[in-house]
Amino acid sequence: MLTPEQMSKVLIAAPKDVIEPVIRELYRKRLFHIQDFVEDEHEEYQGYRIGNPLSGAGETSKELLRLRSVTNAFSLRSDDIDPAEKIRESRLQERIEQELPAIEQEVEDLLSRRSTLENQKKEIEQKIDLLLPFADVPVDLPLLRGYRTMAVIAGYLAKRISLNVPCEEYYSESKRGNLLIVVTPNEYRPEVERMLLDAHFQAIPIPDEKGSAKDRIAEYQVQAKSVEQEISGISEKIQALKANHAGFLVACDELLSMDVERAEVPLRFATTDHAFIAEGWVPSDTVRPLTEDLVTASGGRAFVTELPIQKGKDVVPVEYDNISFARPTQFLMDIYSRPKYTELDPTLIVSIVFPIFFGLILGDVGYGALLLAASFGLRKLLKGPEGKMLLDIMRNASISSIFFGILFSECFGFKLPWPSVLPSRHLNIGGEAGGHGPAIPELMIMCVWIGVLHITAGRLLGILNHARQDHGSHRVWAMLANLGWIMVMWGILIMIWSAFPMPLMPDLTGFPPLVLGLSLPAIIGLLIIVLGVVFIVKESALELVELPTILSHVLSYARLVGVGISSVAIAMVINFIAIGMIIEPQLENITIFSVIVIVVGVIVWIIGQILNTILGMIGGGLQSLRLQYVEFFTKFYKGGGVKYNPFGVMRKFSED
Amino acid sequence: MAVEVGTAITDVAVMEASQLGLRAMAAAIAVGSTGIASAAAEMVIGSAAVGATAENKDVFGLVLLLTVIPETIVIFGLVVALLLIF
Repeated sequence: MLTPEQMSKVLIAAPKDVIEPVIRELYRKRLFHIQDFVEDEHEEYQGYRIGNPLSGAGETSKELLRLRSVTNAFSLRSDDIDPAEKIRESRLQERIEQELPAIEQEVEDLLSRRSTLENQKKEIEQKIDLLLPFADVPVDLPLLRGYRTMAVIAGYLAKRISLNVPCEEYYSESKRGNLLIVVTPNEYRPEVERMLLDAHFQAIPIPDEKGSAKDRIAEYQVQAKSVEQEISGISEKIQALKANHAGFLVACDELLSMDVERAEVPLRFATTDHAFIAEGWVPSDTVRPLTEDLVTASGGRAFVTELPIQKGKDVVPVEYDNISFARPTQFLMDIYSRPKYTELDPTLIVSIVFPIFFGLILGDVGYGALLLAASFGLRKLLKGPEGKMLLDIMRNASISSIFFGILFSECFGFKLPWPSVLPSRHLNIGGEAGGHGPAIPELMIMCVWIGVLHITAGRLLGILNHARQDHGSHRVWAMLANLGWIMVMWGILIMIWSAFPMPLMPDLTGFPPLVLGLSLPAIIGLLIIVLGVVFIVKESALELVELPTILSHVLSYARLVGVGISSVAIAMVINFIAIGMIIEPQLENITIFSVIVIVVGVIVWIIGQILNTILGMIGGGLQSLRLQYVEFFTKFYKGGGVKYNPFGVMRKFSED
Repeated sequence: MAVEVGTAITDVAVMEASQLGLRAMAAAIAVGSTGIASAAAEMVIGSAAVGATAENKDVFGLVLLLTVIPETIVIFGLVVALLLIF
């Protein structure tokens, strides 16, 4: 449970003519994590070469490529499709040969027609853009061009200028800009152009069209509309095809991808002219059945053996080995880093502690119930294994939140009918101020206790990790150093107890002072600290710099109270604004107006509480996750393990 | 005589009120200034974190962790403020 699944290194050797049945069997079993063969890396593999893909790999890849172009056109993703009914592989193969080419052809035709139409549309729009400046010009376009002795210049101008040469001008102001058309004899053209250039003139071409610009624009707009209609017709057809064939296409994609993967896997094997060798990892308890299956599949011609694991040289892939309760938390572990093979796997501890911390922060029956409902409601939206894991974590966290809500006696910031079992977090907000207010010192000390215990657990795991991973004298000193950290922390704690009486903590202030004003417990505490520091220094003197983190890490658990109380405060403020300030005053004298105000008050309350639920979820989730990652993991956990990724696939749409 | 006692009572009341006010001010400064400090630190880390995640999605867990590290500053501020007030 606290260690990853035990792995064995397996070597498979067989003649090349049984490579296909062996690969097929490996793929079907989905157990073998292939270790890629690298040429010239190991001496014992001298003379071996990387294998060639199986025959037919090229065609299958091409077929897959064509299929993917269709699924891309449909923007079809296998995650979006509910696997309704699995199609048998042989039936699927038949349909791939018979139906797929027709579908591909149809989609290809539709796509090419659509892209032609889209190009047409673009051309038409360009023409309209060119014509638009001339829409208000009262002469037909052919009159603006084709003169031998005259030059026509058209364009936009910031403001009108007077051209003191013989010319005809048309000027109109509009939102697009101020259009100026000048007709002048050819000999004045350079002079006009110079004057216009000085006035920041932007020339535009005169469109090569017949009739008036306005009529032409109207005609083109009609054309564009009909092209657009045709495009949307084609898009509808594509959508209809997608709806009809989505299930079949994702099944084809799955089958062809499997075929390609199988056909290309010899690229990861070591081969000679007549044989091949595959090295890889399988869970230890599956070595024997897998061996038997492979031998049977190859007709007794495959040789399978277990190799010894070379410590420090082999990179063993890591697969979690957790009880079903802890399995969703593997998601949180993978976000940080997968444990190394030799390391303790703290998933189980995190799966228990994370919801407790979340509950301590967001201890509220109402919010817990809302999140619980959300964790079930979102299941339709969040598909895939990771989404499911996240929702399972959310479910556990919200149940814990309800539990602590009962203990804290809180529901949407209101007090429940019973007194708070844990130190109260109720603030005096609003008119009904009075009572004691939150029991801050008790809450803080509760957090310090949680922190001390959590960190001690982390250090103990650190001792275990060093005991498992290290060797020789380093192993002893590393274990003692971890013990030293625990001792310094508890030593400080004992010294504090001997100096100050505190609620929820042992009171050691009663002892008489012995030496230098220090009482017996204080002296014991001091000795423990000194011994702890010695252990730490023995391993690495630089670690002394880290000593203040003992204090800061323990105090960091105060966030369990801090973030929690701020969420309670927001809830109470929302209640006070919505109920105390908006709704209650209206209840004294009910009129139509007051009913409207009450409805507004209810809306304010609902929006406010939803907002606070989201805030509480993000705050509670991130803060308790951080306590795991920063305060807990840094004491013992390194991570960096390689994910166990067996050769094979989880079939969703097809079956053998 | 009565006037002097009355003045003394008022003085004490004023003193208590101003002490309460000063404590509230101290709490406000504790939360406010640490909040600004956390925000400034997280701003820099957060933008770098987004950049790093865009380059390589695997570092998400690590950068999330780095981003929330300065949060401790404001939590300490909040703790100090709560202890001041209650």
